[in-house]
Amino acid sequence: MTVYDTARDTAGDTSSDTRLEDATIAYSKAPSAGQPVLRVERLGKIFGDQNLAAVAHTGPNAGTEKSPDGNSVVAAWDVSFNVAAGEAFGVIGESGSGKSTVMRAIAGDHSSTAGSVWMQRRDGSTVDLLTMTASERRALRVDELSVVYQDAAEGLDLGVTAGGNVADRLTAAGWRNFGQIRERAAELLGRTEVPLERMDDLVRTFSGGMRQRVQLARALANRPPIVLLDEPTTGLDASVAAGVLDLIRSLLEELGIAAVVVSHDFAVIEMLTTRCMVMQHGRVVEQGLTDQLFEDPQAPYTQRLVAAARA
Amino acid sequence: MGYAAARGGLEAIAAAEDLVRDARDLADSPWLGLDQLIDRQRLAVDRVMGEGGLWDPRLAARALQQAEGDTIEASHLLRSYRATMPRFAYSHAVDMDDARVLRRIVPAFRNPPGPQLLGRTTDYTGRLLDRTDDTVARERAEQRASELVVLDSGELGTDQLDTDQLDTDELDTDELEQRTAVVTSGAVSALGSLGNRRHRRLLDVLRDMDLMVDRRRSDDPDPVDITRSATRPPAPRSAVLATMARAETGALVNLWYRNILGPDGYIHEVTLGEVRHAEVPVTVTHPHTGGPIDIGVVRVTEVEAIEDLDGADEERTRFDVGYGLCFGHNEKKAIAMANLDIACHRDRSETGDGAGACELEQSILMTTDGLDASGFLEHLKLPHYVTFRSMIDRKMAMRAAGASDPGKRGTDAPVSVDPREGDCA
Amino acid sequence: MSATLAETLDAVVGAEPGGAATLADLVTEPVDPGILDEHAKREVRRAILTAVCVPGYQVPFGSREMPVARGWGSGGLQITLAIVGVDDVVKVIDQGDDEGVNAVNLRRLVINTTGAVETTEVDEATVIQTRHRIPEDPLSPDQTLVLQVPVPEPLRGVERNMATLAQMHAEADYARMWVSLYEDKVRNGVITKSTGYPCLVGGRYVIATTPIPRWDIPRLHQAPFLSLFGAGRERKIYAIPPDTDVEPLTFDDVPFEVERTPGASCSLCRASEAYLVEIPPSSFGAADGRWICSDTAWCRRRRSEDNLS
Repeated sequence: MTVYDTARDTAGDTSSDTRLEDATIAYSKAPSAGQPVLRVERLGKIFGDQNLAAVAHTGPNAGTEKSPDGNSVVAAWDVSFNVAAGEAFGVIGESGSGKSTVMRAIAGDHSSTAGSVWMQRRDGSTVDLLTMTASERRALRVDELSVVYQDAAEGLDLGVTAGGNVADRLTAAGWRNFGQIRERAAELLGRTEVPLERMDDLVRTFSGGMRQRVQLARALANRPPIVLLDEPTTGLDASVAAGVLDLIRSLLEELGIAAVVVSHDFAVIEMLTTRCMVMQHGRVVEQGLTDQLFEDPQAPYTQRLVAAARA
Repeated sequence: MGYAAARGGLEAIAAAEDLVRDARDLADSPWLGLDQLIDRQRLAVDRVMGEGGLWDPRLAARALQQAEGDTIEASHLLRSYRATMPRFAYSHAVDMDDARVLRRIVPAFRNPPGPQLLGRTTDYTGRLLDRTDDTVARERAEQRASELVVLDSGELGTDQLDTDQLDTDELDTDELEQRTAVVTSGAVSALGSLGNRRHRRLLDVLRDMDLMVDRRRSDDPDPVDITRSATRPPAPRSAVLATMARAETGALVNLWYRNILGPDGYIHEVTLGEVRHAEVPVTVTHPHTGGPIDIGVVRVTEVEAIEDLDGADEERTRFDVGYGLCFGHNEKKAIAMANLDIACHRDRSETGDGAGACELEQSILMTTDGLDASGFLEHLKLPHYVTFRSMIDRKMAMRAAGASDPGKRGTDAPVSVDPREGDCA
Repeated sequence: MSATLAETLDAVVGAEPGGAATLADLVTEPVDPGILDEHAKREVRRAILTAVCVPGYQVPFGSREMPVARGWGSGGLQITLAIVGVDDVVKVIDQGDDEGVNAVNLRRLVINTTGAVETTEVDEATVIQTRHRIPEDPLSPDQTLVLQVPVPEPLRGVERNMATLAQMHAEADYARMWVSLYEDKVRNGVITKSTGYPCLVGGRYVIATTPIPRWDIPRLHQAPFLSLFGAGRERKIYAIPPDTDVEPLTFDDVPFEVERTPGASCSLCRASEAYLVEIPPSSFGAADGRWICSDTAWCRRRRSEDNLS
């Protein structure tokens, strides 16, 4: 378990990676076996004025993510972590901690200010997502990296049926047989416990919990090796949330997908992840095995959070 | 009525054209003269020039005549005439401060810099149908004109106002009151103007007071020529302005109205800074001498609309400005244009990143042209029996599919068949 | 009253009083009195060349206003005017009919302003301008088909934002189109797109095939002739070069269907393998509903051949 003093450099992963001469997309020549499928290195995002000087004045020691002049928000800085194949990694923090920023940076929903996000592709090569063009990143979202959003409206087309939302990803991956598309969609929706008779209903008519299930089915349609989940059960009714959580846990186990789970809810992180990190005011304050971190938190902030959660 | 759409070929068309021409040319009443149209229906002529994008009052009058008063039809005639003519030059940028101002009002200030001239407007005239006999009206007008000569001998010129005397900066309060009253009373000759003196704009005053956002660029890019390139959103401001300059008047007015009051609109606090009706020379580079030469004078309406900035990401201690300009005397169009210019700019700023264009810009660029809109609407009158037969075929196929699939349930979910998916329209 | 350009120019150029000097007199080439000036025609030809080089890509062009209204064939007309000369023979049809009033109007505009010759017979034509049909006769590599396009954008029903539309075409991201086909089939049991069926051209761009019926779609695939598509109002030109793959978008297991009414045949020439349009019964329940060929010239020739044999 590593504890970070935000005044010092983070203890980063020192494994060697060979950077190619090709400046456009950075590929690593390192062999894939034993490598993490996702390697985030010193990721940073500043909103507003791109003022690097603001970094020194923000973070847990400063008690804020906002720069003193108010023109910049250092939403995330110096964030590093690895995710192994099939592993679920948690990101926990209160609002303003930067956890969603990190997720969106990896997803490509917004640009990043600093750092690298190395992702292992299906063919074994590794690429820094942040050096790719927007359209290349969109292409990745078809079958290599999926996202499940807190607000289902962001991850689904509400004016399309449940089956259609899944078919969207299948056709994007090149599926052209209607019968097979239908079969696979039914299979996925069945696995995510969406009633079959609702497969042809518009998602707009679904409840919140049901919409999350459709989102899961859609995210898993093309068997991506990595899935990002941002507050997947926040806003749902407690009993409904429990069911969705259970589903996610069994899916992750069964399919061996690597996942990054973002949540402010300890119960969610505890249930779904084996390792996690705690963020505060845009920085990582503690990182380690989920069980150990909750049982024996080292950083004062983590201790406060854990205590509050247990209460 | 079945698929027997209009056929019969050349004879039918020729007959239709004869019918139109005969009804028009053989009508009992005398043919309208071009001078009559220009003098008596000047606002229609101006509107046609504005929407045709071609300055030539006589041609526009001719077009109106031929189109029997349909201004969109007349503007189409002007535009297709324009398409037959090669483009030789682009004019130099017109300096609107060189204009000979025929009318100027500044609603934003009580006593703005420079004179106001109510000029020729019906803004404050009661909208009452005047059924006075023409001859009587003319006699009264002549009487008024003769009286004006007597009144004017003291202070005001008859056909050219002495603009120095109207400059409010140097007057004391009492004189100020009196001048303002006289100027705005409309007692001044309708043919008067404020001459060619460069009058300081309200915008300049506001800039001096540091109340304006400064969006002026140092690189001054060439304006987009929308007649030579198909402009799509996101587009430069010049393309949006050029599109509005030729847009159909009603379309702009209604788009503005909808932007204020419609379901997806929002309130703008706009105060007009300048409303001007003016004549301005057009200059090109002489092809032989290489020097500038004036090739003519056009008359335009110009509006500057001062917008209050109140958005979270805007400079709320300042104002911004929208600009409107069109051929002829067409104030509602220029005002709508200025309002939409600034609304579009603010709309675009709010959607940030710029990855997707704002909806207002798309509406302006794609839906305000009179020829495009009315042409496309009226094309529905063309035969569509091939497409219609195909639609019926699909309905039969749907029924056949439904009949053979007992497991298929009717959905009670709202069926959102997209009406825009029509093939032809 | 401001002086007109002519009067001002008279003063500058020093022409004789009463003579009509124009800026054009300063230019040595004669001014074309037609409805589209030569510079515009050149611009259209350049757009056509780009379109042919990138099959299915919608090339923007500075569409001029024509004597026909927007939506009435101004795009097709500009293409035809740009490519025909005195050696050309022009056929113009609307719904397959040479005698439709709009076809007649467009044809005479072309003939009167270009010096080309007109015909109703396909095998005599070098350029065929058409609205909503492809002629039943097979066309040869020497012939060009010019189609009038009301709406060139095939994705219009699934996306409204124009910037996003451009991105979708640029990235060949037609996922939303496929979803709409899936939804269509699920909701209706069949794919209900009638005319203007979206097709993939050269394996790259999806196009709107103007409202030609499904009947005509298979004739575009690997066709020996050049097809040019003109959308005047929307200011776009696109093309299908000869010998290009044109595949209607459909699922592998959902065959592409053409319009067909079992037992129907033309009551004039008895053809059943042509696109037929219906003349409905004169009154409800009457038995005299009939079908006739939409391609009138083709039908007429069949009948004359019948008489001769």
